[in-house]
Amino acid sequence: MTTISAPRSDPGSNGSRAHAQLERYPIMRELPDDGTLTTQLLAPLWTSHPAWKWLFMASGALSLWFLFAMGVTFARGIGAWGNNIPVAWAYAITDFVWWIGIGHAGTFISAFLLLLHQRWRASINRLAEAMTLFALVNASLFPILHLGRPWFFYWLVPYPATMGVWPNFKSSLPWDVAAISTYFTVSLLFWYLGLVPDLAAARDRAPGRTRRRVYGVFALGWHGSGTEWRHYRVAYTLLAGLATPLVVSVHSIVSLDFAIAQLPGWHSTIFPPYFVVGAIYSGFAMVLMLVLPVRHVFRLHNVITRRHLDHIALLLLVTGSLLAYSYLCEAFGAWYSGDLFERYTMLTARTRGPYAVFFWIMTAVNVLTPQLFWWTRLRTNVVVLFVVGVMIWIGMWLERFVIIVASLNRDFLPSSWHLYAPTWVDWSLLAGSIGLFSFLFLAFLRWVPFVPVSEVKREQREIAFESAYVDRDGAMPEVTR
Amino acid sequence: MSRRVEQPEVNLEFPPGAADPPEWVSRRDFLTLLGAGAAMAAGACMRRPDKPILPYVEAPADVVPGMPLYYATAMPLDGYATGVLVRSNTGRPTKIEGNPDHPASLGASGALEQASLLELYDPHRAEAMRVGRRRATWDAFAAAFAPAALSRRVGARGAGLRVLMPPTTSPLTASLLGRLGEAYPDARTHFFAPLASSARIAAARTSLGAALVPQYDFRAADVVVALDADILATGPFHLRYAREWADRRRASPSAQLHVAEPTPSPTGTLAARRLGATWSAVAAIATALVDAVHRDARSTGRVSGTTDASGGALTPDARAWVAAVAADLAAHAGHSIVVCGERQPSDVHVLTNALNDALGNVGTTVWYTPPAVLNDGGPDHDLSALATELRTGGVDTLVILDGNPCYGAPSDIELSRVVGAVHNTVYLGAYDDETARVSTWHLPAAHYLESWGDARAYDGTTSVIQPLIAPLHGGRTADEVLAVLAGQPNNSTHDLLRDAWNSARGQGAPTTESDWSEALRRGVVAGSAFARATPAVRGDAVAQARATVAARGVAREQIEIGFVPSHAVHDGRFADNGWLQELPDPVTKLTWDNAALMAPAMASRLGVATNDVVKLQVGDRALDTPVLVVPGHADGAVALAMGYGRQGGEAVARGVGVNANALRTSQAPHVAPSAAVSRTGRSHELALAQTHWAIEGRGSSIVGEDGEAQRSTASSVQPRKRRPLTLYEPKPPSRDGFGADQWAMVIDLDVCTGCSACVVACQAENNIPVVGKDGVMKSREMHWLRIDRYIDGPPDDPRFETQPMLCQHCEKAPCEYVCPVNATVHSEDGLNEMVYNRCVGTRFCSNNCPYKVRRFNWFDYNGEIAETERMAKNPEVTIRARGVMEKCTFCVQRIRDAQMASRLAGDPATGPVVTACQQSCPTQAIVFGSLTDPESEVSRQFGDPRSFSALDELGTVPRVRYLARRREADSSDSSGGRAR
Repeated sequence: MTTISAPRSDPGSNGSRAHAQLERYPIMRELPDDGTLTTQLLAPLWTSHPAWKWLFMASGALSLWFLFAMGVTFARGIGAWGNNIPVAWAYAITDFVWWIGIGHAGTFISAFLLLLHQRWRASINRLAEAMTLFALVNASLFPILHLGRPWFFYWLVPYPATMGVWPNFKSSLPWDVAAISTYFTVSLLFWYLGLVPDLAAARDRAPGRTRRRVYGVFALGWHGSGTEWRHYRVAYTLLAGLATPLVVSVHSIVSLDFAIAQLPGWHSTIFPPYFVVGAIYSGFAMVLMLVLPVRHVFRLHNVITRRHLDHIALLLLVTGSLLAYSYLCEAFGAWYSGDLFERYTMLTARTRGPYAVFFWIMTAVNVLTPQLFWWTRLRTNVVVLFVVGVMIWIGMWLERFVIIVASLNRDFLPSSWHLYAPTWVDWSLLAGSIGLFSFLFLAFLRWVPFVPVSEVKREQREIAFESAYVDRDGAMPEVTR
Repeated sequence: MSRRVEQPEVNLEFPPGAADPPEWVSRRDFLTLLGAGAAMAAGACMRRPDKPILPYVEAPADVVPGMPLYYATAMPLDGYATGVLVRSNTGRPTKIEGNPDHPASLGASGALEQASLLELYDPHRAEAMRVGRRRATWDAFAAAFAPAALSRRVGARGAGLRVLMPPTTSPLTASLLGRLGEAYPDARTHFFAPLASSARIAAARTSLGAALVPQYDFRAADVVVALDADILATGPFHLRYAREWADRRRASPSAQLHVAEPTPSPTGTLAARRLGATWSAVAAIATALVDAVHRDARSTGRVSGTTDASGGALTPDARAWVAAVAADLAAHAGHSIVVCGERQPSDVHVLTNALNDALGNVGTTVWYTPPAVLNDGGPDHDLSALATELRTGGVDTLVILDGNPCYGAPSDIELSRVVGAVHNTVYLGAYDDETARVSTWHLPAAHYLESWGDARAYDGTTSVIQPLIAPLHGGRTADEVLAVLAGQPNNSTHDLLRDAWNSARGQGAPTTESDWSEALRRGVVAGSAFARATPAVRGDAVAQARATVAARGVAREQIEIGFVPSHAVHDGRFADNGWLQELPDPVTKLTWDNAALMAPAMASRLGVATNDVVKLQVGDRALDTPVLVVPGHADGAVALAMGYGRQGGEAVARGVGVNANALRTSQAPHVAPSAAVSRTGRSHELALAQTHWAIEGRGSSIVGEDGEAQRSTASSVQPRKRRPLTLYEPKPPSRDGFGADQWAMVIDLDVCTGCSACVVACQAENNIPVVGKDGVMKSREMHWLRIDRYIDGPPDDPRFETQPMLCQHCEKAPCEYVCPVNATVHSEDGLNEMVYNRCVGTRFCSNNCPYKVRRFNWFDYNGEIAETERMAKNPEVTIRARGVMEKCTFCVQRIRDAQMASRLAGDPATGPVVTACQQSCPTQAIVFGSLTDPESEVSRQFGDPRSFSALDELGTVPRVRYLARRREADSSDSSGGRAR
């Protein structure tokens, strides 16, 4: 049994009190020895939680409904949706931007924080990465679904067609295709590479021949030699380096789907940073929604501590405040431009138009709720965190809805103004995508080591090693046996 | 030429071997079979009329596949002919255009003429003759109704025989009715059309001493006053009037139009001074005008017997309007026109005649001719007399020749019940409609494009109606039925027509073979218009009319309900026509419904809003109708369009709207003077093609006017140029550029009435599908060209703005750079092109189009249409598949046609290109051409000081420009009749 606590790199400095506040909670606590820890973290692979089956079946049913709604869309055409002229984009693109935004938190945690040596990422990065992947699955479905002729979606890809035609590189949509496919590929590789040692551990501990074989195949023959670990670390860091710019680039490009248009409410240079911040914001909200139940159900309080929750909440506070600033800038820019149409869309239609209620809900939720996290107590209150997570999750969907629909429905010529109302197919696709996400995530929880065992163990060692150098006289909170 | 190709057996369409396995089919064989198959299919699809018809210009030896031919014919509506040229592609009529030689068309065609094409191919037309519930044949009918058989039923003198038909101007029908009269001296013929009014004739009889109708020359008018008359968009001569008025406005911008009307009409939206006044107020205004004009010293002052008390019944607004308009009229005595609408009683027509007389207009801008309609205004135009006869039971056989009177008759006549009680009823009708359902015999009527016949225009000019196609469903014409009754069953209408014209020798009818050919080619019989008459007005009639109008007074407390023709379905005749049902009303943009139109003030008093259902009550008759609140509507008046609420077997028409005839009575068929309106608490969603009328202070960007600011300046309009500065100024279009031509369009908002003929013309030319009420409610109309309507300003006296909106073919098109697959690109000659088969349907182009003129195929609109409807498609234009974008192409098929023709002719310059919308436009508000030709009209108008680009500040550099409307500076201070 070792004693582990967070390191104090700069004891006695001016900021020590604040620092101590920050360091109040350890990254890990009450950790057993390596073997027991491995057993604890791999245990969910061998036993099924009684509620899992029902949840899995329910989400499976919802996924089938998703498939059905897709079938209706393919068979009848986009007319099955509520879209119209002027609102030619609506739910599908809202869902697309929403899901892809959610994905960002995973990459942010796994790559950005890795490069920044944020150790607390280790316990939750696998969960977050899986969230990214599954969100991306949904996100990449919607752009294809929303095509009038989805069977020609590959025309957006620059392939050497015999007719010699290429995509229009001036349009942001082929950029989108490139960004998303890159993002998905890198995320998948990154996630899988991180999994390999844990899959090997699962292979080694699997009860029964079949599971051993299956995990064995996916473990790619890993046996944990020093050479392997050395190559692994290099590859992992390189991939992290590749993935990090994607956090910024992908949603920037998605934002250009709107910003390159001249539509008031879309045509804005602030969109790329605004969208990136919003993406990370919504992603962390979803991380909270996933981590809190998982932590509770699988009793992971020792690896996912209050420290993690505190940090996620702080990130929500930061990104939420940045987002509020973006909202303000957007409105200010419209007013300052003096442009009749911009002013109408941003100042009149948004606040008093037909979709004003969604605008105000979105503003209240996205701007005000994260301000709760100025209070430490609320940052670690599981119930508050979960509720805020859900609210932001919905608030960010509304944000995209407002940007897309509330800009399109009233543009330049009042003669073409028209309202948008979703149909049951629109709702089914939204609900179905949540179902598919849940289905994939539940499968992931059941069959894949969702806490990175090897990384947790490594972080544990490193922390223990470093803490040996820490001045013990400092106000070291909550040092356990 | 007489060859009526039999439909071959289906299995014979493929030559032996076509079904064999393909191993032995070489490429060459395949192409041979393909060609043979296509030829056979084309041959089998030809339904040529079985009598020689002659093309408009020069008859080629035979149809050249791929080359359309144009034939002149005429469409009768309410009896009056409008000359049309019909394009025929390998035997199928595919497009209707105006006949420049015809006085009612002058080359233009209205929405109804354009859309009548779809009626020809309507899959819901009656396809078989029936008697009772059994199928019948023409021979059986001819046998049963030949004089020998029929006289046993109706008596030798035909006392038991009655014929009911719509008003007719046809000399042939007149001669057949004469023969019928010879065969059955006691038989009677009655004429009925729901919209027909005898007020004008009655007024002429009392005030002019003869049955005459007024004719106008708007080209010579400086001031036109329309009293409840939609002269520019409704009526038998509206195409001509619109053209004349537009020509006048172009030649003399100071020419003014003043309108007093209960419900906003296209004419009203163009008025310099428009007054919303109820029907009874319009009558009082006419009286006040007579007084005012008489008092004015500058007027010739010939009106006698007037007193000075008429202004008292009017509102201050109306008095101001009368004062201003009277002054204007007096200042232009001899060069003005006062027109009174059909719905006004005969007294108001008398006053109008008096006004024109007093102003010295008669002989210059106004004259009179005999009516073209047979026995117009006579006792046989009274339906209730026939109904009384039918009720008393003296009639054994009633022959109804088209017109669906059982739907259109006023409700107090209860014609359906009365006709149902007649023993033997024959109905010749195109549809299994309300009348067909109560008739014993139902004979499918031939469409006018399937018929021989003749008809007169409003001024008497005679046209031959020649068929473009053999009847699709074995339809027959009224003349053929009359021939059977008159004992000439075996004569085809063609022969009857030649006979009738031969016997009318000496009356301008073409008798020689070359005259006949010329009449067919040109579509008119030269010199057949009636002679002009300029009778003086009788003073005592005027005095009496004044007294009658004064005695009636202006309804202040009561609500008047006016029954107005629908701009789309007319009186219900076009109710099964999807193009027309989906054609937005020119003013309200209402589709797929009629509604109780009322003023905002009246609606708020009643506590109702648009879509709320109200109960309209006239006496003990009631009708539940949704409300549509229209700014500018007269307070106290409700307008309800006719032609809806159909109960017949027409699939498209059925259940659309409410039947206004339920409120009409034979005493008050046009305006119900005292009605009640009450809330029901229910609602019914109306499909409005445009849901937002206010222009939101963007007038100067959109329609080139600054609204309030504009009014203070002079009438010379100079729209501001707002294009953003750029370092890369585009080069002006020239021949040195990429293409030899640079296409462009200019639309003159000063003369555009918003009549929407261009919308239907575009729909017909470009194979644009219909999306239905649900589609319109979801804003999924497919029209490439729409008419935007802005109604702004005070709700009782708003500004009306009309703007045809189509693809602007921007030189810097926002749609092009956002398309991910290069499916919308720019052509060398300046067209924004849509590559349908490259489009994947992201709809980004639509999002980025500031004009929102792109249309998306939400469903497979063309996949589910009937076989006959396919025949209406223009073979020159691609049918778009589901999931692709489409939009106005500037009629690229016509441009390419012209280019090919000029290339074949060795002419370096492309010949004139006329787009479908331009062709149909009655006011010639649309000009199209190449900017590289500095002499072209479009080049000239591009440089007009009034020209502007919509949303110029966006820098899209549109190739469509508008000429801003010329409005007069505000000279009066009152709100009523403010110069707009």
